[in-house]
This record gives sequence, C-alpha cells and structure tokens, in this order.
Amino acid sequence: MYYNTAQLLASKLSGKDYTATDIASVVITGMSVVFIGLVLLVLFVSIYGGLFNKANQKKKEKQEAEKQAAEAEKAKKTENKPVQSAVNAPAATDGIEEEIVAVIAAAVAAIGEKSGKKLVVKSIKRSVSQRDPWAAAGLVDNTRPF
Amino acid sequence: MIEQFLSTIADLARDSGVAGFFVDGGWKNIVMILISFLFMYLAIAKGFEPLLLLPISFGMLLTNLPGAEMYHSEFWVYQTVGDNDHYIDYGNILQHGGLLDILYMGVKLQIYPPLIFLGIGAMTDFGPLIANPKSFLLGAAAQGGIFFTFLGAAVLGMSAAECGSIAIIGGADGPTSIYVSSKLLSNSDSIGVGTIALAAYTYMALVPIIQPPIMRALTTKKERSIVMGQLRPVSKVEKLIFPILVTVVIALMIPSAAPLVGMLMMGNLLKESGVCDRIAKTAQNELMNIITIFLGTTVGATTTAKTIMTLSFAKVIVLGVIAFSIGTACGILLGKLMCVLTHGKVNPLIGSAGVSAVPMAARVSQKVGQEEVPTNYLLMHAMGPNVAGVIGSAVAAGVLLSIVAH
Repeated sequence: MYYNTAQLLASKLSGKDYTATDIASVVITGMSVVFIGLVLLVLFVSIYGGLFNKANQKKKEKQEAEKQAAEAEKAKKTENKPVQSAVNAPAATDGIEEEIVAVIAAAVAAIGEKSGKKLVVKSIKRSVSQRDPWAAAGLVDNTRPF
Repeated sequence: MIEQFLSTIADLARDSGVAGFFVDGGWKNIVMILISFLFMYLAIAKGFEPLLLLPISFGMLLTNLPGAEMYHSEFWVYQTVGDNDHYIDYGNILQHGGLLDILYMGVKLQIYPPLIFLGIGAMTDFGPLIANPKSFLLGAAAQGGIFFTFLGAAVLGMSAAECGSIAIIGGADGPTSIYVSSKLLSNSDSIGVGTIALAAYTYMALVPIIQPPIMRALTTKKERSIVMGQLRPVSKVEKLIFPILVTVVIALMIPSAAPLVGMLMMGNLLKESGVCDRIAKTAQNELMNIITIFLGTTVGATTTAKTIMTLSFAKVIVLGVIAFSIGTACGILLGKLMCVLTHGKVNPLIGSAGVSAVPMAARVSQKVGQEEVPTNYLLMHAMGPNVAGVIGSAVAAGVLLSIVAH
C-alpha cells in the first residue's frame, strides 16, 4: 500500500518537486499504517489477555472457595470461645474488624501521647479511594526513581 | 637564532586553534561554542535531560574548536559508486578519521539507537498496556504530530528527507529521531542529525512545560476529574507472550521498524523471562550508559557551525515544537473520544502520554489529573499509552523510512 507512495515520492525526491497529492498521501498512508499496525496489536493482546484473565479468575474463584471452606471450619472450632466486646468501641466502625480498630486506636493514641493530648476514636470509615493505601504507597515507591 | 625562534612561534600561532577563529567564517565557531555553553548550563543547572544533553553539548564544543580535527563533516558525503548512489567511504574514515568520526559510524550505521532501545525494553513494564490494550490507540493517535509536521515542513519547501527527519521529532523519542534522521539525511541536506537530536532532546526536557497548557485547553474540568478504575493484574505468561507477539506482528507488517521494535522487545523479554538477570541488568545499565556516551558526544559533534547557523535550524526549532504540540493534541482528542464512547470511564488526560517521552509524559498526565482530584492516580493508566507511544513512534519511523527512502 505505502510502497506505491514510496516509489512515487522517491522518483520526485531529487528535484524537490513533489506535489501536494504526494504529501497528502504520505500523511494519510502514514497515519493509517500506524493505526492498522497498532489496532492489530490491540486485537491480539485483547484476545489473549481475555483468555488469560478468564483462566486467572477461575483459578482465583477456586482458591477463594477453598479458603472460605477452610475459614468456615475454623469458625466452627472457635465458636465456643467467649468473645469479649470492647467497652468503649467507636460508634461507627463500618464493618471493620475489631483488631484493625484496635490498631488504629493504638496509632492514634501514640500520636496523642507525643502532644500530651488524649484522643478518642469516634468513628472509623472506609476511605472512598479505590486503591488501598498500601498499594498506593507501593506505587509511589516504585515510580519515585522517575 | 632569534629570527628562527620568532618564525617558529609565528608558525605555532598560525597552526593553533585561535587562528582558526579569525579565518573566513571563524566567528560562527565562537557562536557555536557559546551555544554549547548554554546547553551545558541547561543540562547542569536546570537538569534538562542531563544524561544526554551534557554529552551532546560537550561534543558540540569539541567539534567547533578549530584545528581539533575530531570530526569531519566532509567525510560523510554520499558518493556514487556504480549503481549505488548512497555510499559512504568508511575505509577512508577509518584511515583518516578523528575519534568522533570513528564513534559516529555507530550512528550512521544505525547501531546505537537500536541498542538504546534494548536497554529501554529491559527497563519497561508493559503490564499497564497489556491490562488495557486500548491504550495502543492513544499511542497511535499521538503519532499524528509526526505526519502533520511532515505536511508543515513540505509547505516550507524542504526536501522529503528533511521533512521526514523534522517530523519524527513529534514522536518525542530521541533514539528514534536519530535513527530516522541519520538514515535519511546526507551531508547535502541543509540540516544535520545533530540539529534534529538537539531539538528532540530539548523538547523532551520541556514536556512538562509544553504539554499541560494544551491538555487543559482541550479538556473540561469534569473530564480531568474522572477517576479511573484499578487495572487488572497481569500474569507472567502474558508478559512473556507480549514482546514476542509485538515483534512478529510489527516486523512482518513494517520490516523497516524491525531493528527498533525488535531490540526493544528483546530487552523486554530478557527482563520478563527472569532467567537472564545478568544480561538484562547489563542492557539496562552498563550497555545503555556506554552507548549513551557515544551517541550523545558524536551527535553533538555533528552540530558544526555551518550546519547550525542556517535558516533551516530555525525552521527545525519551530516545526519541532509544532510537531510536539500536535502529537499531544491528537492524543488528548482521541482520549476524549474514548471518554465519550466508554461513557466517562477514560480520563482524556492519559491521551497526551501517547507521545513517547517515557516516563515524563505519563507523569505530566498524573500531575495535571491530580490538580483536579488530589487522590487520583492516573500514572499507571498513563503508562499504557506512554509505552504504546514508544512502539507507535518506532512504527511511524519505519513507515517514514519506507516512504521517504533514498
């Protein structure tokens, strides 16, 4: 396709007398060849990416099912143990585990200790950000050399 | 005896470089040396792509010192031998050339840019691109700058070889620009490889200044605030298949892009395979650094006074920034189209990262996005078009070479 243009242009190259049509065809063929090439890659990568993604998801589902089964068994074993509830737990914990609440409270207390203030955790909410903070920290760490 | 002494001193003075400044046109060398100081200042004090701009500017200094004879532009004139009218007398260069002439053979014989690409491949993570293959389209759109600048250069009455060399600056990829211009340009053209490289690297350093105004002008506040979902994780097998697939598809389609794309993907396969750690590390570090020194210094050496102090140089500078801006705009515009088609799932800002300039262009997308929503992480999404831009500009280079070949 672009070889015709090549011949056309090369024949006129020496005299610098290429016509406007030659230039237009360079622009049009150039852009379309680049697009065709990369669209082909989009297709190929999408196809195999889709296949692998499906395979991975199946694997993940299987693993999760196994994990849930194991957890259910574990829960059965610990069912009989009494569960102590925190006396002054924050009112809203947004379904966050008590252990995590304790860790957050400890961190807040540690900050309060430095400034000599007593801080109270009133509520804990999940942040709206889609990326979890550890992943975000990892991202920042990985891209810092740039 | 005193007479002999005086005549020897006079001879020495005549042979010295200082005398070279006073011959016809010698003042141009002084101007060039001052320009090299300016680029050294920009590289050291302002941090403009110092790894390349510093060797380039020092090469510029060396080549413009009269009498140093380190680089001879007259050796690189194409000659006609039989049917082959595109012939350089390498034997003559090896016998009589200076240090920089010998090293410049690596540029003219197209050895250094593919080796740099090997290192870039070994440093690049194509994960974001594999996770979101549509990014390829943004990488393709941003090459629009190349072809529209070709048009602009033609309107200004430049030869096809010059048009192609100037246009490739829009790809925002130093090695690719050098690869294309060294193949297209001959000594009879009014611009040289060094001019193209200088413009390309200067503008790449200026990406954070050139791009944001264009990005803001072409997008609405609402579009800039779009938060994109997290990319899916990419498995190792996918990362292994990718370089092989890209090499086969691109090399079969545009054979003249094979040296650049092939080496880029080989470097990537070395890295992703995980079994060639030593080789991958050498490609990323030692080899890349050695080639960078050779490439920078020799490309700088081609900027002799008579190639730079022309009207064509001014044209390169102007057309170069136009090429860059159109590339950015094309990427953003396709990003907007994708935003509409996906009902607002794509932030158009990642489109501008389609001009290669890895990873600066992606960081610019991230920064402009964060100005609207501070918690918005566009970086990984922008890396997709960014690395696609590298592949895209290598493909565009191949297309230009096959269309405008001598």
